[in-house]
Amino acid sequence: MVDVRQGRQDSVAMTGKPTTGENGAPLLNRRCLLGSALALPMLALPMAACSGNDDRKVLRWWSPQAAPAQARAYRAQIAGFEAANPGYRVVFEPTSDEGYPAQFAAAFAAGQVPNIVTHLPSFAAQSYYAQGLLEPMDGVAATIGAARFLPGANAPYRAADGRLSAVAIGGTAVDMLWLRRDLMAAAGIDTPPRDWDALRDACRRMQTKRIYGAPLPYGSNSMTSLVFISFIHRAGGQVFTPDLQLALDSAPTYAALEFYRSMREYCPPSASSYGWSDSLNAFVSGATATGIYGGRVLISAARQNPRMARTLVCVPYPSQTVATPSWTFNDFPCLFIPKGATEIAATKALASSLYEPAGYVRQMLAAPGHVLPVLQGITDSPDYRGNPITSLFATQIATMTRAAAAGHNLGFESPAHRPNTKAGEIIASHAIAEMVQRVVISGESAKAAVARASSRIAAIMRGADVPR
Amino acid sequence: MRPALHHLGDRSLGPLLIAPVVLVLGTVIAYPLFAAIALSAFAVDTPTLRSRFVGLGNYAELLGADGRFWPALGVTLVWTAATLALQIVIGVAMALLLNRDLWLRSLARSLVLFPYFVSTVVAVLVWRWLFNDMFGLANQLLMKIGVIAAPLDWLGTMPSALLSVIVVGAWKFFPFVVIAVLARLQTIPESLYDAARLDGAGAWSRFRDVTLPQIGEVLGIVVLLRAIWDFKEFDLVYLLTGGGPVDATRTLPLIVYQEAFGLNRMGMAAAYAVAMMITMLGFFLLYRLAVRGRT
Repeated sequence: MVDVRQGRQDSVAMTGKPTTGENGAPLLNRRCLLGSALALPMLALPMAACSGNDDRKVLRWWSPQAAPAQARAYRAQIAGFEAANPGYRVVFEPTSDEGYPAQFAAAFAAGQVPNIVTHLPSFAAQSYYAQGLLEPMDGVAATIGAARFLPGANAPYRAADGRLSAVAIGGTAVDMLWLRRDLMAAAGIDTPPRDWDALRDACRRMQTKRIYGAPLPYGSNSMTSLVFISFIHRAGGQVFTPDLQLALDSAPTYAALEFYRSMREYCPPSASSYGWSDSLNAFVSGATATGIYGGRVLISAARQNPRMARTLVCVPYPSQTVATPSWTFNDFPCLFIPKGATEIAATKALASSLYEPAGYVRQMLAAPGHVLPVLQGITDSPDYRGNPITSLFATQIATMTRAAAAGHNLGFESPAHRPNTKAGEIIASHAIAEMVQRVVISGESAKAAVARASSRIAAIMRGADVPR
Repeated sequence: MRPALHHLGDRSLGPLLIAPVVLVLGTVIAYPLFAAIALSAFAVDTPTLRSRFVGLGNYAELLGADGRFWPALGVTLVWTAATLALQIVIGVAMALLLNRDLWLRSLARSLVLFPYFVSTVVAVLVWRWLFNDMFGLANQLLMKIGVIAAPLDWLGTMPSALLSVIVVGAWKFFPFVVIAVLARLQTIPESLYDAARLDGAGAWSRFRDVTLPQIGEVLGIVVLLRAIWDFKEFDLVYLLTGGGPVDATRTLPLIVYQEAFGLNRMGMAAAYAVAMMITMLGFFLLYRLAVRGRT
């Protein structure tokens, strides 16, 4: 215990004036206040000094593709850039597929934008560009070398004004059908299913007490929306006409809903809340006989379930009938520069440096088969082909590369479609995922669910009457 | 410096000392409040902040037939009332238990606070794993003892999704009730219980006639605070179910978030937030009336 009276005597002895009251409580006088006011900045000085003497300018890089191996590859590219540009320090900051709309909305609103952004879908770039939030990327594409890109690789980013809203950094065949030869053989299935009836039958035959047929997503999230849009196309439909008139209320949508509902009994119970990682894990862990995902299956299976990895088969997800054209969802991962980014010349130099062959190959090999190269000659290069995953699964990667090259998404439904700059908001609204949930989980009529989704999407397309 | 300071009399010093508090309160409470109200009168595109005055248009939309306010308010009230009731029941029971002379009581008192201290993200990850249909403990246990034949989809279908969120919320926040009630329990004079025993009161009577009146005031404050916090709880519900299935667990804070950052309608999000604040204000006034009537 502190003796209050002793404390008062001490303070008198030190200053000659009492600084405590009669009851021992401290007296707050003007000198004390003034002293405190002066002392605080003095205290702040050493703290500021402790923050380091790195006076390099900071460039911030955001990406949702940030698995540990990918982050290592980025760090290697960053190190190369920093060595060539000693005045700059690059900070990599991961974001996520589900969370980036919120992060970007906040960043743009606050004016605290990153310098470069990679691996966001093409429709996000188109949407931000249409709002005047991105720098045109034609110059960067020219610096990289337009001829170095695969033919048509940058088409999904061509904005209404004819300029590039982003440049391609990779391609992904997001919703391939993955199968296991061992389970197919056990179920007496010789070839991968080529239409919905065959797929449903295969799932039924491969489903056992411990293994479900498929990990289709039914959650209220972006995966369900994006995957289901593919099913509409695989039934021969589309969400919008080429001139962006809403075309959701159509026979193919109802056929897709009916098929999707019929598949529910072959999916795990918690598929009602499945997102990307749940669906991937369900297949790689062996809980489902088929999978629906991009090339990340390869590296996950090779590491976590190598016995299964040797049995993998990869084909485009079947359409309603063999005659219906195939449709693969490619989010067209891209690179863009937000308007308002600081140090724009250095930023563009950083962007171009990410395409230098050695670093680019290393970046692709950090997620082999998942992020597919969009530069000419990479897939044939010895460095790329020498990787254990790309050599072991060369057939699967070739299948995905073909599917990705012919891929589409809601912002780029076909080459005839105008860029849909509201695609990002439609996905973020979960209107399509909720339509699926209403039909499959809540048991509502498909007609009512489609009408409700159409109404919400139409409202988004109208644009909430805010000038853009 | 000194002469200048001496010119300041005590009359001036008072307002000077209060000024920082006024400044801080004005900055962190008054300004955001009025800014939110003002924002709700505009249609604002979040990334660009371009706006157009719409007056009460946002409120008309959210309260109208196509608005999501009323269903979300219903979900929010069910979530708040149910999780709060569970927190109170479990919290008071645990506080009574920990007030007894137990073996390893100090350790138990420390451990009971664990859910409150653990990060919501971590807690949700653990619970999602427990609820996992194929590998989760909840399903495995229930199947082993024969309660269910097949795994349940805890978070993807109703009513289990809402029930799961309520249970996880109660688990996460009941330690706050324990802390508050236990502190009050330790100050109740033992003589009151001795007198009750002499009058022949049993355990239930002692709880009802001695303990409950003594902890009543603390419980009132706890209920008020927790009701406010639960009403605007975001991260736990968002991370567990994301508001699904469909809108079954979509509380008002989730709609505010989706409007602001998913649909880029900052003005509409502000309108939902202001409507939430008015609703909470209404409940607070009811509480004040109830408390004043009792005293």
